[in-house]
Amino acid sequence: MRMMNSKTVLSLVVGASLSLSSVALGYDAGAVSNGGSISGTITFAGDAPEAKPIEATKDAKVCAQTQKYDESLVVGESKGIKNAVVSISNISNGKDFGEAMVLDQKECVYTPHIVLTPAGSELEILNNDGILHNIHTYSEANPAFNQAQPKFKKKLKKKFDNPEYVKVTCDAHNWMTGWIVVMDHPYYAVTDGEGKFSLGDVPAGEYEVKIWHETLGETMQKVTVEAGGDASLAVELSQS
Amino acid sequence: MARREVDDEKKSYSGVFLFAVGLLLIGSVWSVWDDAISRRPWKKYQAEFSMLAYNQTMAEIQAEEERLTADSSYQETMAALESAQTDIAGGEGGQHLATLQTELAAAEMRTSDAENALRIVRSEIEAAWYEYDHAIQLEHSTKDEKSYLDALLAEADAREKVFLAEQSERDRIENEINEINARVIEAQDSLRKMHQQKDFLTQRLDNYVMQPLPGLVLPAIPAITQVVVPEFDRSNFDTPLARVDRCQSCHVGIDKRGFEDQPNPHKTHPQYDLLMANHPPESFGCTSCHNGQGVATSSVDIAHGYVQFWEHPLLLGPKMEANCLSCHTDMQTVATRNTTVGQHIARGEKLFMQLGCTGCHLVEGYGEAKKIGPHLRRVAAKSDPAWMVEWVTNPHEFRPHTRMPHFFFTEDQGRAVTAYLMKVSMEEGQAWLESHPEPEGIDSTNAELVQKGGQLVNSLGCRACHGFSSEQTATMVGQNKNHAPNLARVAEKTNARWLYHWIKNPRDYSPDTAMPDLRLSDEEAQAIVSYLLTLKTEIERPDIRAELEDPDLVLEGEGLVRKYGCHGCHDIPGMEREARIGVELTSFGEKSLEELFFGNRTDVPHTWEDWTYEKVNAPRGYATERIEQLMPGFNLSDEDILSVRVFLKSQTGHHVPEQFTAHSDLTDAIVKGQRLVQYYNCTGCHVIEGGGGDIRPLYLDNPSFAPPILTGQGKKVQPDWFYGFLKQPIPIRPWLELRMPTFHFANDEASSIVDYFNALSKLDIPYNYFDRSRTSPEMVHAGEVLMSEDYFACFSCHQQGDRKPEGPPAGWAPDLALAKERLNPEWVVEWIQDPQALMPGTNMPTFYPGGPDDILAGDEDKQIVAMRDYIMLLGIDDPFASTNGSSGTEADTASEAIDEFQF
Repeated sequence: MRMMNSKTVLSLVVGASLSLSSVALGYDAGAVSNGGSISGTITFAGDAPEAKPIEATKDAKVCAQTQKYDESLVVGESKGIKNAVVSISNISNGKDFGEAMVLDQKECVYTPHIVLTPAGSELEILNNDGILHNIHTYSEANPAFNQAQPKFKKKLKKKFDNPEYVKVTCDAHNWMTGWIVVMDHPYYAVTDGEGKFSLGDVPAGEYEVKIWHETLGETMQKVTVEAGGDASLAVELSQS
Repeated sequence: MARREVDDEKKSYSGVFLFAVGLLLIGSVWSVWDDAISRRPWKKYQAEFSMLAYNQTMAEIQAEEERLTADSSYQETMAALESAQTDIAGGEGGQHLATLQTELAAAEMRTSDAENALRIVRSEIEAAWYEYDHAIQLEHSTKDEKSYLDALLAEADAREKVFLAEQSERDRIENEINEINARVIEAQDSLRKMHQQKDFLTQRLDNYVMQPLPGLVLPAIPAITQVVVPEFDRSNFDTPLARVDRCQSCHVGIDKRGFEDQPNPHKTHPQYDLLMANHPPESFGCTSCHNGQGVATSSVDIAHGYVQFWEHPLLLGPKMEANCLSCHTDMQTVATRNTTVGQHIARGEKLFMQLGCTGCHLVEGYGEAKKIGPHLRRVAAKSDPAWMVEWVTNPHEFRPHTRMPHFFFTEDQGRAVTAYLMKVSMEEGQAWLESHPEPEGIDSTNAELVQKGGQLVNSLGCRACHGFSSEQTATMVGQNKNHAPNLARVAEKTNARWLYHWIKNPRDYSPDTAMPDLRLSDEEAQAIVSYLLTLKTEIERPDIRAELEDPDLVLEGEGLVRKYGCHGCHDIPGMEREARIGVELTSFGEKSLEELFFGNRTDVPHTWEDWTYEKVNAPRGYATERIEQLMPGFNLSDEDILSVRVFLKSQTGHHVPEQFTAHSDLTDAIVKGQRLVQYYNCTGCHVIEGGGGDIRPLYLDNPSFAPPILTGQGKKVQPDWFYGFLKQPIPIRPWLELRMPTFHFANDEASSIVDYFNALSKLDIPYNYFDRSRTSPEMVHAGEVLMSEDYFACFSCHQQGDRKPEGPPAGWAPDLALAKERLNPEWVVEWIQDPQALMPGTNMPTFYPGGPDDILAGDEDKQIVAMRDYIMLLGIDDPFASTNGSSGTEADTASEAIDEFQF
């Protein structure tokens, strides 16, 4: 299914997602019996861009141990897009929240590049690089902060209360960029290197699924999930 | 004719009498009615308000009662009081108390008797001393007097002992009673505290109503409420006069909170905290801000001053702000600090100054303003004459948003003005050209060079003031005027030679210009000029120099320039001593309709407001066949005209006495500095007083590449460093492509700007230096350790003199070696505590709370001070040399050193 060509769709969707936080649907967590699943692949329309190497201009001893590549758009061999976030945007009850992920600053790269964290829980941020990093967030729904994480502070905890896609940079190492994706329900996933994702234990029903990517923007897709069935989703994104 | 005579005695006058009595009665009733009711409409409002306030207070009392009933601790205390009272009321306890009280009465009697006896003997002692001294002075024998005195003194001692004994007995009994009553007293005290609000409310009822009989509630007897503000006005003979306002006779609720939702006249003053609390009517009156006829009480219209020939009718709408300026000369700052009031007057004042109105119109307090137009002494070297004819004829056609107004000249007039200006500037222009040769390396056909120039105007900061295409906007004056010219068609008006030397050193061409020196290299200037030369349309203009030399044309031009007052905004050779051509506007706000000339216009309503609006909107509209109008057209938006009108309304020529104004040294400094900041458009780049930063939209993606925000600058930097920086800027933020230009400020200008920022930070004494005797080698060393790689790694980003951080300058932070001269030591502490609070969005991360536990015993405040101390001494060799032999920095590792600290 090819659908990402119209900029109007995009802008509509952007508008909708900005209001996400203010809507703040209540979500009831509980056991899901006989749920279905949504799985699929997000692919890139057009030629896969070449990986851009990052030049670690600072703290080379730590940061340049291995060659790093820019992760703002990573397209696999089968054109699958890595690091797209797939989420259900209109779900009010379902499974329990999973375990919070951990954001690690490893050799001056945010690992993982996109970290998912449930709204209201504490995100653990690690720094085992032995140098100064700072976590500078650009957010509106959550208070923006710029927190230093010096060598002696190997672990930090930060709470994000509201759903938002939060960009994170390090001013000490200006090539470092990552994203913290906060949601008030557990139905969201990041695509792997082949652009694949899977959302399990979805109660049967009709859903709006949002596909978000940091450079390609976002789009919506309607999906019907049947009890015990798997709804497959294939979306192609293109450079707008 | 014979008439039948009737005896006077027999005539009945009862009809006439009855009529006269009736008339008298009616007259009396009417006069009482008129005096008490008709001419005192305020009584009705006051009575209405009294009942309103009564009802509101009753509701509050009820709510308070409900709260008390629901409050369990109140109920408990009530019960405690009751049980305590019961305990001592009857039985043995009660009897004991009654006995004690009888004893107390007796003891009090005895104490007072003993005190009296003591007093009597003391007065006898006074007399005895006199007799004794007198005997000594008469050189008599003093034996008798002495023995009498001694006897009295002994008596006094004895009686004092008796008195003290009685007193302590009385206190003992009293204490015993108090002990028994303690629980009651305690309960009563705490109840009183809980009751406080209710008692207060109940007491307040008396202000509003009388309750002569239970259940009968009458409004309090109305009374005129009058405020006298002594010496607020001056009489025609310049003697002080009091301002008397009776407005609060109707507007009773105006100074009382809680009536915000009521209609006028009962309403609480809007924005109470700001407007009422800062301007209490008992000190300022009402009409000092609002105008109106303060003493009048006979009707609403009369009191509001809506009567013929009353010069100051009530100000309504935006005009209400007109009087703010009489006391707040720093209205621009007041309006930025309080965004809910004063916006119109502040905008109007700014427009009035920035549109160059002062070039033609004298207004007291604004007479010193600089001419806003470029100087024309050498314009022959700069401008193309054919372009200039077009420009003079209608500037708005060439640049729709220029500040230059439209004089409605015909093309012939435009030609004459140009001919004159070319003629008078020829000599100086030629001389300037001779010393400024045709530059090399400029080529507007070299795409690479043009592109480089285009990049430079974007990256150096030119865009703060100038647009380079008709769509680009930079700093605006009002809604649709450009502060500096839009350069979309600059190549049509001038030439490469002038442009090159102009951008290299603007003051060399025009000593008063606001355009700064960007310290451009030759190559940069060549690229920029190459780019600027591409900014033009296809229009070709003929060379008309020869025809402009016609002496008649020049003469006509001179007449026009003089008549229309071009010298008001431009420096023109030979016109240096010409006076302003417009009417003085110092008391324009007071002009009566009789003084305003409406020409033959019948469509303009005869009000000051309409006249003024129309005058600015269509300045030639009041011209008739006989009477010319000279004012040019500014093409302002409606909102701008309204703001200018509020400013004009504020110009009454009256001076509010100093003691009523908000004037101070700080406001003087603010006004003076702010006018410079506006003239040089510092706010094109910097956010100052929360406004400006016009260039920032270009840096939305990465605000750290935008020019620094100067909020709190006065508190941040040391004044002498700041002064030096303004005179000769040095790069502080190596990562910025933007360049702080050199403005070549005169000494007094730089000093005024420093004072301005200090005044904004409310610093009476700006000097704040680091006192190194208050730190110690240990503290400094702890600071060094904290800032080292093992801890906060500050130099990962901060430059430190010649030691540069790793990586490209884009990731650097300011040079800390400058700190000791540049930064206020107290500010450094606040900054490290919470950088985001002082400059939201800064790249400087927050380190605290979160300091290490192993330095200075984990005392974070002390750690911050230690780093400050280290920074303030950075780059000084052996800072403790004079006080202490060793500098104490030998310790190799952090923990070793830290253990020694004894704080």
